[in-house]
Amino acid sequence: MKRFRSLDYIKNSYNARISQIAEEKKAGTKIVGTFCLFVPDEIIFAAGADRIILCGGKNDTISIAEEYLPRNICPLVKSSFGSIINNGCSGVKSCSHFGMVDLVVAENTCDSKKKMYELLEDYVPTCVIDLPQRPDSPEALNYFLAELHKFRDAMEQLTGSKVTVDQLKKEIKSLNETRKLFHRLYDLRKMDPPPINGLDVLKILQKQYFLSPGELKKSLHMLICEVEQVNADRELVAREPVNREHRPRIMVSGCPMAGGNTKVPEIIESKGGVIVAEESCTGTRSFWDLVDEGKDPMLALAERYIKIPCSCMSPNDRRIDTILELAREFNIDGVVYYTLQFCHGYNIEKYKVQQALKKEGIPLLAIETDYGDSDVEQIGLRVDAFMEMLS
Amino acid sequence: MISVGIDSGSATTKAVLVNDGHTTAQFVLPTAFDFLSAAVMAYKNVLACSGVEEKDVSGVYSTGYGRNSIKFANKAISEITAQAMGVYHQYPDVNGIIDIGGQDSKVISVNSGRVTDFLMNDKCAAGTGKFLEYTARALEVPIEEFGLLALVSKTPASITSMCTVFAETEAISLRARGFTKEDIAAGLIESVARRVAVMVRQIGLKQNVAFVGGVAKNSGIKAALEKELNLSLYVPPEPQITGALGAALYGIK
Repeated sequence: MKRFRSLDYIKNSYNARISQIAEEKKAGTKIVGTFCLFVPDEIIFAAGADRIILCGGKNDTISIAEEYLPRNICPLVKSSFGSIINNGCSGVKSCSHFGMVDLVVAENTCDSKKKMYELLEDYVPTCVIDLPQRPDSPEALNYFLAELHKFRDAMEQLTGSKVTVDQLKKEIKSLNETRKLFHRLYDLRKMDPPPINGLDVLKILQKQYFLSPGELKKSLHMLICEVEQVNADRELVAREPVNREHRPRIMVSGCPMAGGNTKVPEIIESKGGVIVAEESCTGTRSFWDLVDEGKDPMLALAERYIKIPCSCMSPNDRRIDTILELAREFNIDGVVYYTLQFCHGYNIEKYKVQQALKKEGIPLLAIETDYGDSDVEQIGLRVDAFMEMLS
Repeated sequence: MISVGIDSGSATTKAVLVNDGHTTAQFVLPTAFDFLSAAVMAYKNVLACSGVEEKDVSGVYSTGYGRNSIKFANKAISEITAQAMGVYHQYPDVNGIIDIGGQDSKVISVNSGRVTDFLMNDKCAAGTGKFLEYTARALEVPIEEFGLLALVSKTPASITSMCTVFAETEAISLRARGFTKEDIAAGLIESVARRVAVMVRQIGLKQNVAFVGGVAKNSGIKAALEKELNLSLYVPPEPQITGALGAALYGIK
């Protein structure tokens, strides 16, 4: 598979982004840290603040968190908390951005995160958006809209500047453009074989809430351009048919894969599979639906964000429908249902997803894991057997 | 056509030589520390036992936990695919396989020798050969007699711990409370059977199910599984070598 130069650019963007944030802070810009897709970036940017994601994907900071949090909660929550409160005493270094935020904007999704935010308040100012979890009732929409208004007020207080309708509309338009770029990239992955590996796409997905919107768009443009070139080259050589071995087309579905955590996709693609879609927060859930640009911006935001099919929602049939749709659209051979240990929502939802896929004749492999390396061999065996089963 | 399958397991290494679709020799030895030397040894021995010279072997196929360490093999395949092929060869009507090995247990759904679904337990020792080894030791019973001992029991003790370490503690406390060795052994074996039966039901195996892996040699477990699942299990005469056999057959295919 081709090596994309734009991905090196994205990989090397970390330091540049850190200096950018440091400069912004000096100039008085407020920096907001977020954990979750349910927090509308549009409101943050419209208030004149900048945003970075605080989801931890590293194993090292988990032991720091375990001084405060129970062992048996998910590694993402522990890793994030450990990275934020880390004072360097234990010799572990957190990535610099964890220490740069003026305000954490959290959201009530799963129990572990909710209770973790209560502890986090002692270390960094934290604003929590409450989230109704029965997404299709009209009361839920009104309640969520009220929560977003409170969040907008909190942002105005933080930055001292008013969030205007015009500013919101501008941000919605801009972020919709980013979403459309992701759609273009994903459309290219529908080809067989896809011109880009899943691991390569993951590199940009993991940075999408870290980079500034401008940098993200630029990176996406560059990557799409290179991937389209691969396709063009392919058409040129297609006159001489090459006997390519079909790599099973895999969709990863389940928990987020925060930056630093690439264990399962690495195993899948090293065992001969190719990931062509991710039904994940680091995947389709982040960009699939656009915000309606014709409506009142706050209402449009509430309507779009409340529909994210996170497993904290109940019932969550929207997620099952999405998975089946994606499986058809991306011509999936098999689904790897990826969950983090102790993520009860996604772990329990596995049963329904499995039943729905069974009806469609699509095989599913369930992998429950954490951020450690101790189970790499065991996962490797399952994936080996799954690939043998699919080919 | 001569093909050799090597199953490099966590506890034992198995080699099977297949000539024109028939098993002509097999060899089993403890894996010990080094997967590769155990595999070399098993390979040499299986050649010697069958009187075949190495140059006449068309391919070597590895499977099992150490499959990727066997550098002299032509290809490594997963033990799940290997078991399906090996068991199918012996029981063409097989629909499901229960494989309990030294460090994991697997349940495989099979259709005409092809894997259609599988589940594995390898996160802890519960429901594996290691669990039985440890608890047999706590009862001071040789592992070979453990199953037979359990068969004698009329009133199995109830063991609730799934954790190997805690089950050992539980067995010791049952001893202190005056339970017989037979009843404790039966209780331990039932706990393994219950654990594996959950996986069997999850996969949905109903009939024509084979029981393989080193633990299938234990008649107590077989009986407990049959009772728990309410079906009678096929146990091949050599349940330990079906993985290696499947790997050898994969080579021929």
